[in-house]
Amino acid sequence: MDVTQHNGADSYAGSKAKALHPGPDNDMRASNPSQPFDPRLVSIENYDFFYGTAQVLHNVTFEIPERNVTALIGPSGCGKSTLLRNLNRMNDLIDGVHHRGDIKIREQSIYHPHLEVIALRKRIGMVFQKSNPFPKTIYENVVYSLRVAGLKNKARLDEAVERSLSAAALWDEAKDRLHTSALGLSGGQQQRLCIARAIANQPEILLMDEPCSALDPIATSRIEDLILQLKKQFTIVIVTHNMQQAARIADRTAFFYLGRLIEYDATSKIFTSPANKQTEDYVTGRFG
Amino acid sequence: MEHLIDMELDALKQALLTMASHAETAVNRAVRALQERDHALASQVNDDDVVIDRYEIEIDERAIQLLAKAPLAGDLRFVTVAMKISQNLERVGDEAAKIAKRARDLSGEAPVRVQIDVQPMAALAISMLRDALDAFVRRDAAAAREILPRDRGVNSMNKQFSAVLADHMSNHSSEVKGCLKLMVVVKSLERIADHAKNVAEEVVFLCEAQDIRHASKARFSQGSTR
Amino acid sequence: MSTTPLNNRRSRRPAGESFVWLAAMGLTIGLAMILGLLGLVVVKGVEPFWPKRVVEITLRAGSEHALQGSLTLGGEIVMQRVKTSHGVSQAGGNADAPREWQLFVGNKDAYGLSFRFVDATDIAAIRHPQDVVRFERIEYGPAIGIPVALETSRNGMISSTNAEFESALRQRIDDSNKRRRAIERIERTEIGTINREMKDLAIERAALERRGVERSEPGSRWEAIAAREAGLQKTYAALAARARELRDQHDDDILVYRLLTGAEMRMPVGGVIDFIYPNQVGNLERLQVFFRNIWVLLSDEPREANTDGGIFPAIFGTFLMTLLMSIAVTPFGVLAAIYLREYATQGPLVRAVRIAINNLAGVPSIVFGVFGLGFFVYFLGGTIDSLLFPDHPSAVFGTGGILWASLTLALMTAPVVIVATEEALASVTRGAREGSLACGASKWQTIQRIVLPAAAPGILTGLILAMARGAGEVAPLMLVGVVKLQRDLPFSLDFPFVHLDQKFMHLGFHVYDLGFQSPDSDAAKPMVFATTLLLIGLVIVLNLMAIVIRERLRRRYATGAF
Repeated sequence: MDVTQHNGADSYAGSKAKALHPGPDNDMRASNPSQPFDPRLVSIENYDFFYGTAQVLHNVTFEIPERNVTALIGPSGCGKSTLLRNLNRMNDLIDGVHHRGDIKIREQSIYHPHLEVIALRKRIGMVFQKSNPFPKTIYENVVYSLRVAGLKNKARLDEAVERSLSAAALWDEAKDRLHTSALGLSGGQQQRLCIARAIANQPEILLMDEPCSALDPIATSRIEDLILQLKKQFTIVIVTHNMQQAARIADRTAFFYLGRLIEYDATSKIFTSPANKQTEDYVTGRFG
Repeated sequence: MEHLIDMELDALKQALLTMASHAETAVNRAVRALQERDHALASQVNDDDVVIDRYEIEIDERAIQLLAKAPLAGDLRFVTVAMKISQNLERVGDEAAKIAKRARDLSGEAPVRVQIDVQPMAALAISMLRDALDAFVRRDAAAAREILPRDRGVNSMNKQFSAVLADHMSNHSSEVKGCLKLMVVVKSLERIADHAKNVAEEVVFLCEAQDIRHASKARFSQGSTR
Repeated sequence: MSTTPLNNRRSRRPAGESFVWLAAMGLTIGLAMILGLLGLVVVKGVEPFWPKRVVEITLRAGSEHALQGSLTLGGEIVMQRVKTSHGVSQAGGNADAPREWQLFVGNKDAYGLSFRFVDATDIAAIRHPQDVVRFERIEYGPAIGIPVALETSRNGMISSTNAEFESALRQRIDDSNKRRRAIERIERTEIGTINREMKDLAIERAALERRGVERSEPGSRWEAIAAREAGLQKTYAALAARARELRDQHDDDILVYRLLTGAEMRMPVGGVIDFIYPNQVGNLERLQVFFRNIWVLLSDEPREANTDGGIFPAIFGTFLMTLLMSIAVTPFGVLAAIYLREYATQGPLVRAVRIAINNLAGVPSIVFGVFGLGFFVYFLGGTIDSLLFPDHPSAVFGTGGILWASLTLALMTAPVVIVATEEALASVTRGAREGSLACGASKWQTIQRIVLPAAAPGILTGLILAMARGAGEVAPLMLVGVVKLQRDLPFSLDFPFVHLDQKFMHLGFHVYDLGFQSPDSDAAKPMVFATTLLLIGLVIVLNLMAIVIRERLRRRYATGAF
């Protein structure tokens, strides 16, 4: 007669037991106890960004915690990809850009005049929307960032290849064809190769710009599982159009609209009860 | 712009409201059948209950189909709340059927000479239910919160009537069966009020995303958001 | 396409099909022209090397074509044509029209000419004498005659009827060929070395004079120089004597032969290189002679004002020049394109530079020759000479040479390479570049490791076009270093082993020289076609090499549109 009926005794008992004894997966923050957890690994402070005279980011302020997945969502043209690409200063390649405000990683500004952009990019890995493996062998693709940094020791390169491909869930499929062309892999495999390449240098932060948008659902789900594994080691910032994807894998979600940060909160809150009406409208698909 | 999901959510809401009106009607009929000792009316309540059960199944189906579309935020809360409300309404239908059954039985016997008037209690319970559904339609969390304390009134009436009936039973052993049946009726009405309270709590969750179930009575008056 | 009912009787062609036919026709015409030209060059270039039969013609009495008074003459039939008062039409034509034959009679020393026209109507009799011989000679071109006897210094006279005659002659010719090579070695190599050293000593003497060193200073170089010079003179005298001795041996054996006109000639065997009996050889042997002739063409030096002998120096010169040009233009063009496309801020200045480069491709090549002469030869070469070779009697780099010619052509073909490289660089996807930069590579590392390898097929396309253009240019070369005759190759065994200041021969210029500057245009004609064929062949070989490399690169780097 009770309203809150349970489905069955065993599942109730099982879930009750789990609730009483939290395992390691329940608390991500404690996964790497050697490093103190930094809730402000990346802090973006009053950040404005301009393409020439057009302002595309207005006064964006928020913090990205360490070893979490942070999703940036919003309609097209809202500035989320621009912000992502500014985290490793890829937009510096475009003529006529400038900014106000600051972005700091571990309290160090990425725009500090003494900081070399190349050194910054070595600490940050990036995965793009369309997978872009180099027309080289799989091995050479993975060790590319190590080679441009000057590493030549073959043993260390081999170890890095195995480590990165394993972390990217590609080692078993690739270990027998390391020296064949990377372009012979399927789309999903190529994207995982790009992920392996991005983490080969053991960066702190992994930026992903709609990494699954060109993939089929099975490949997408493999990469989402991979992201959930990777977040134990890396801080991941992902731009996605897919709301369900953000709901599945992100710990925190930031909603952008027309270059402004509208709401930034735990993913569960954004997707079950967002505080802002614009967020609610976007999340429920009523934006038009 | 008309979104398909809006139409489906609306259809779900309409089904729920229709189900609610059936439940209300069923309770009204059952109480009238009891008071007027109307056998035929009591039988009608059974039919009402069958309809209500069918509505529960239909609403659950619609809700599951909506969930497959992965609604989020307000839509997600709406679908889960609709399922919960339909469950509560189905129980209300069951309770109404119980009252009607007792009404049928009592109508075939000599009337019990006890001084209880279930009409106000029924009215209170039905009004709680109606107001809860009203608050649901209007998405009015304040109105929903208002309903919650009225349960106390129903509970006290339940206690009072139960005491009177227990007393009567101990003095008039020939009317024990009748009194027991009347106790069941009173209990059912109390349950109906409980279900109405549940509905009101679900409405608060829908509007404010706050889960106020099982909270202590001292926190009823709070309504602040985070 | 509009939807027409199926029962519409009018047949509808797909739109634009006529243009497909036009395009196919255009392509066919183009291919036919190319193949026709190639065919013409091949036939006319290869045909002279096929050994022909010698005919003996007896003319009718009173014919005006009598050769040196004789009505009997002989030679190889080169061409038959219809006689017209102006212009010629070969073969075909009216069967009744008067025809004339062109004969190659050889024996330029005897007749003063080697080609002769004979009216077909004047011919009384034709015969193929079996014992006629064709001799390849050092001077005056081939000789055609009937051998009479071989007068040897030691073994007396061997008549041509003797069974031993042919083998004895063959042996003597082999000996004289060996002797000639020995003489050449003495003169070119050993005496050449002495000459060079004498030249260096003269330069040193001039330097000492310039510096004002006194002759009488004890221990100065003057004495050493004088002593060395005396020693060299002695060696030179000995070598020259030896050479003279050998040369005299050339005249030891004399070949006596009779021309088909009847006159008897005498020729030292030392002047003969080879001989065949053209009317006796079977087809298999003719094939052998054919290949031998072609080999001689490819490997030998020119003789007789480039109308005889081989053209190996021209082949080598063309090849080396094209190679040097490619080596010069590739880094220059590629680096310029990289700068324009990757590093320069894309503004009006860069656009202007690009327009200028494109226009450079339209400048007539002779203008490049003039620029090369003024800048490379006179300015740069003159400066180098005054700095490094101040005491040379003649200009070293201050005059035309293979280095300046290659650089001039490199400048001329640079726009092609730059444009092709720019297009290839632009076709590398942004994704590849961004991926590399995101991995922490610098811009140059990205270019070096990702962009250039991916653009390599396109760059090679540009190089192929540049080589094809450069190998065929003649006009600018005439100003910056090509000569009619150059025996020495730019490589030798003496320091510095590579002589880029030397002038060189070039196949294209050779064609011009043979066709328009030759004193004997009839003899030059087959050489013109042969040279043209070789030039086309050389360009094809160079292009094929580049195409093979490009295919391999394309397979490795599958991205890009090139």
